[in-house]
Amino acid sequence: MNRQLAALQANTRRHFFSRCGIGVGSMALASMLAKQGIAKPAGSHAESPLAPKQPHVPPRATNVIFLFMAGGPSQLELFDYKPKLTELNGQPIPESYTAGKRFAFMDQVNQANLLGSQRAFRRVGNQGVWVSDLLPHTAGVVDELAIIKTCKTDLFNHAPAKLFMNAGTGQFGRPSMGAWVTYGLGSECDNLPGFVVLQSGPRGPRGGGMLWGSGMLPTSYQGVPLRSQGDPILNLSTPDDVDEGAQRRVVDAVGQLNLKHLVETGDQEIATRVNAYEMAYRMQSSAPELMDTAGESQETLDLYGIKEAGESSFARNCLLARRLVERGVRFIQLYHTSWDHHGGPTENLQTHLPEVCGEIDQPAAALVRDLKRRGLLENTIVIWGGEFGRTPMGEVRESTGRNHHIDAFTMWFAGGGFKAGAVVGETDELGFGPVGKSAHVRDIHATLLHQLGLDHQRLSVRFQGLDVRLTGVEEAHLIREALG
Amino acid sequence: MFRVFWALPILSLLTWQMARSQEFKRDVLPILSENCFACHGPDEQARQSGLRLDLSEGALATADSGDAAIIPYHAEASPLIERIESHDADLRMPPPESGKELSAEQRQVLRQWIQSGADYELHWSFVPPRAVPPPMVEGVEHPIDRFVQARLAQEGLSPAPLASAATLLRRVSLDLIGLPPTLAEIDAFEAAVAMDPEGAYSAAVDRLLSSPHYGERWGRWWLDQARYADSNGYSIDAPRQIWKYRDWVVDALNRDMPFDQFTVEQLAGDLLPESSDPEQTVSQQIATGFHRNTLLNQEGGIDVEQFRIDSVFDRVATTGTVWLGLTIGCAQCHDHKFDPLTQKEYYQFFAFFNNQDEPTLEVNDPRQSRADLKSELKKAEIEVDEFILAHAAKYDAWEQSVTAELLEKLPSDLREGLETERSQRTPQQVRDLFNIEVGKIDSRFQSLKQHFDKLGDQVAGVTKTLVLREREQPRMTSVFIKGDFTRPAEVVMPQTPAVLHRLRSSQDSPKDTATSDIADPLNRLDLARWLVSSDNPLTARVIVNRVWQVYFGRGIVETENDFGILGTLPSHPALLDWLAIELQSHAWSLKELHRLIVTSHTYRQSSQQRDDLLVVDPRNYLLGRQQRLRLEAELIRDMALSAAGLLSGQLGGPPVFPPIPAGVMDVGQIKREWKTSQGSDRYRRGMYTFLYRATPPPELAVFDAPEGLSTCTRRLRSNTPLQALTLLNDAGFFEFATALQAIIDRDGMETAFRRCTGRRPRADELQVLDGLDSLSAARVLLNLDESLTRE
Repeated sequence: MNRQLAALQANTRRHFFSRCGIGVGSMALASMLAKQGIAKPAGSHAESPLAPKQPHVPPRATNVIFLFMAGGPSQLELFDYKPKLTELNGQPIPESYTAGKRFAFMDQVNQANLLGSQRAFRRVGNQGVWVSDLLPHTAGVVDELAIIKTCKTDLFNHAPAKLFMNAGTGQFGRPSMGAWVTYGLGSECDNLPGFVVLQSGPRGPRGGGMLWGSGMLPTSYQGVPLRSQGDPILNLSTPDDVDEGAQRRVVDAVGQLNLKHLVETGDQEIATRVNAYEMAYRMQSSAPELMDTAGESQETLDLYGIKEAGESSFARNCLLARRLVERGVRFIQLYHTSWDHHGGPTENLQTHLPEVCGEIDQPAAALVRDLKRRGLLENTIVIWGGEFGRTPMGEVRESTGRNHHIDAFTMWFAGGGFKAGAVVGETDELGFGPVGKSAHVRDIHATLLHQLGLDHQRLSVRFQGLDVRLTGVEEAHLIREALG
Repeated sequence: MFRVFWALPILSLLTWQMARSQEFKRDVLPILSENCFACHGPDEQARQSGLRLDLSEGALATADSGDAAIIPYHAEASPLIERIESHDADLRMPPPESGKELSAEQRQVLRQWIQSGADYELHWSFVPPRAVPPPMVEGVEHPIDRFVQARLAQEGLSPAPLASAATLLRRVSLDLIGLPPTLAEIDAFEAAVAMDPEGAYSAAVDRLLSSPHYGERWGRWWLDQARYADSNGYSIDAPRQIWKYRDWVVDALNRDMPFDQFTVEQLAGDLLPESSDPEQTVSQQIATGFHRNTLLNQEGGIDVEQFRIDSVFDRVATTGTVWLGLTIGCAQCHDHKFDPLTQKEYYQFFAFFNNQDEPTLEVNDPRQSRADLKSELKKAEIEVDEFILAHAAKYDAWEQSVTAELLEKLPSDLREGLETERSQRTPQQVRDLFNIEVGKIDSRFQSLKQHFDKLGDQVAGVTKTLVLREREQPRMTSVFIKGDFTRPAEVVMPQTPAVLHRLRSSQDSPKDTATSDIADPLNRLDLARWLVSSDNPLTARVIVNRVWQVYFGRGIVETENDFGILGTLPSHPALLDWLAIELQSHAWSLKELHRLIVTSHTYRQSSQQRDDLLVVDPRNYLLGRQQRLRLEAELIRDMALSAAGLLSGQLGGPPVFPPIPAGVMDVGQIKREWKTSQGSDRYRRGMYTFLYRATPPPELAVFDAPEGLSTCTRRLRSNTPLQALTLLNDAGFFEFATALQAIIDRDGMETAFRRCTGRRPRADELQVLDGLDSLSAARVLLNLDESLTRE
């Protein structure tokens, strides 16, 4: 079918040029109109939106897996070791730290005192990096990670902050980074979407589908959630009463009639639709094949900590992420809830933080190991982090917890040219703010795009008078210390 | 002579171009605005080296360097030319780090412009439309065709022939009412065309314009711009009731309410004098729902004022985009980088929208039946009360912690509740008190409570809708530094931007209310009237352009939301102006505008690709043919429902819940209920499907229906594998296919084919379809590109 289509398109093209007797390279009115400001300059619109595209500069990485810890993990219980904070436990925070700052649940902040870390830390890896006892497996791969301790965001409520981490703005309706990357680079996979989202944990992340939306970019670039129950992709299965033979015949007949209409009308959109139906049909078999992990060895399942083949867990999603990278999917995002440990009855640092760490620690480390041994880590960036971190002050609630904190929190990056074993940035003795510069979200975005061969200034789209970019209008800097 | 670049001996059509002299707006301004204005434009904060290039005075004035950038008639001596041609990276403009680069040709344009005097002109869209009579084209009467064909003739081109009768009727039906014609209508039309083509067509247009479905089709067009949806947005995304506003729009369009009145009622219906007809007064209040379609954040721990300000920002941006086609929102944080709008002017505009309360209006709705709701209400009540009981300890702890200070802040009814002996409190008081804090931050309780409240209203026969109401005590508005509401600066009063026509101040414009104080500040009503004043160079152009866009897939100005300096120029400027003047001189009648456009040959011509146009104008800017357009999301559903004979034609009322795939509602932060509608409500038009902003119906979202997050003035038309999966496998579309199968079995393949495409199948097409079982054939028909497309 595709060969037939390609031949047809080639024919049609030859047909115009021969009929009209002009050479390729002569100026069409269209580009003149563009020069006169009447037409928007545009590429060939008949090209598939997901066709692979050249990056701006030679890339260090081709794929991304973002492990999004939704809710805001406490860096002070995981990576940012602060003995002074423990020493000052229970004392009010010096006003010099909080003057002029805004927080979520502001009315309660004034009553909060410093809260020492609830966990024991030890030094691990070749560089003696501090990691808490909650992440023993992560500690085992610490020499592969670039840990950034001074990440900074602008927004302190969950949904806007999640959008900010994903889209560089708290505004609804802007493209997420997965959409940007797929827009910039296209996809290497012709039977799965270019941007895939997997979810685990007790509920969906705050912000919902907007977190992987395509904003003003075409919907072709939006993240497609792979669901753990039922069809992995919405409407993937052929209707119950239809057998596979009939489905194939329907797709073929649609294609055949559409091609006839293409010849008649000359409208290349029809060619795009014919391709879309072919890809849809391929997805119907490739997506279930992706989800079927029966071919994975027991050793691999054990590495990730997968107990049952079909379980719906972060561990299985990590394995699926590797399988997606193997299939050429450009951007994969895993959401795991919930990290919002304020200290309420169902969200405290003593019981619930260890639980959620137990769910993600082994699989995340396994993903890094598994990618590495398969030679995929070199070209794949793995990111671990949430929308913000948590305050050095405790919160006055039923049990122990911390509030949202945006001035300094920890994320880690592995593979794709990030510097293995690096620890970037340092926080003050209470872990409140950075000593020296921050790694702002837009710096993280610029760095990520850079590794993929995309210039964050040039990756833009005009919307309502603005050149919209993932990194927004303010200056963004590469985090060179984190790069190898 | 810079045109040398073009002097290749090719197409004759170029000679016409070559003969034209350089024009500032068309040739020079785009280069300056794209490459220079970000640092040398209207924004004072961002301005580098004291140089401003958007105004003649700036370019000729002495900059920080001590020289003027431009010396008219002396390109060689002008520092601007020296800098753009410099090979030194430190001197070269635009600077390499900006990522911008001038081509040799662009540099040549600037050189030529300066050499010939460096004339500046006011941007075209700020100059009022000029009444230019349509050019004479032999044998062509329709004014639109005269404009379009005169332009085509300049390129040696002629228009395409008329589309076939069947294609044309399907086209105009889908465009005017959003539904395909019935077979009887096609047959009658074909017969009538054979007798009297013009008469038959104009009768069809009359019929369609007076159909109540016209208001639905064009109502949805307006609702995109109004960012309408049925929920609050953000992460909590609770349902809201504002469908009365949606019905108001449909009704107003059906009655062909003049667009100026349509504008005034929506922006300031609450400020209009009370009508002697109480229904009209209510209706004018419902209309103000336009600006209540903003998002509402109900997440715990937020700063409410921050999100109120955000909704005002959105109102400013939406008003600017929808009526003025200007990106006013750009001046929120700094002076506009390209258009002559200062940040102060932004906040003066903001001030018009900063003086409202946002109440809920109760409207009696006779359509609601109460009997069957009562038991549901009882159930919902029990659920709410049981939840409160289960969280009694938490509530008690909270009540104990209530300080005198908090008590002081509470509304009187809640304060009274708290002061009442606990055993004496009514059940409703208990619920309200629980909802002050403990229930408020619990999403489960919120969803129970909303369900309960909604049912309560329904049983009471009350429909609610969100409206605006002007405050008696205006809020103070100030400039926010960098758009940050925690950094207020200079205080401002309501006023419109200086570059546009003057808004008469309250001193010389008598207010409607006789009691009005002469010193009253300007308000939204003044603003609304200013938007539709005959002096406004923008509104009429922007609106006709946005209507035109629906018919041809692209506006005369392609950047339909930006008529400013960065926008594209009109492909047919005189036609745009002529249409804008026509709209106003026909009392702002949208129906007349539609009639004018759809009766033109330009609209009625064939959409088939033409080899000659493919070479010179493949994207069809000159309109040498019509354009095939994929149907909008809702219309794809409507088309399939019509073809399958299932469509419910019911107009208006509360949104409905047709079946959606399992699990769709799970992706939001809070799992929202989707209680699938029964009976004919399963088969309502797509525009009536309940629209949750955070979890929009996938069948619509996959075809680019907007989610109502911000104003949408043009939909994308994507073409993706997920659309194919939807049409092939979605349970809803499969159900439509089985209904179409029954039609094939009963009336034959040809009938079914016509119901989907409006035309008769050819033998080779029938052969493909007849080779399939009837269910497969029905599925094929609903998946055809032609079925999904307005040809």
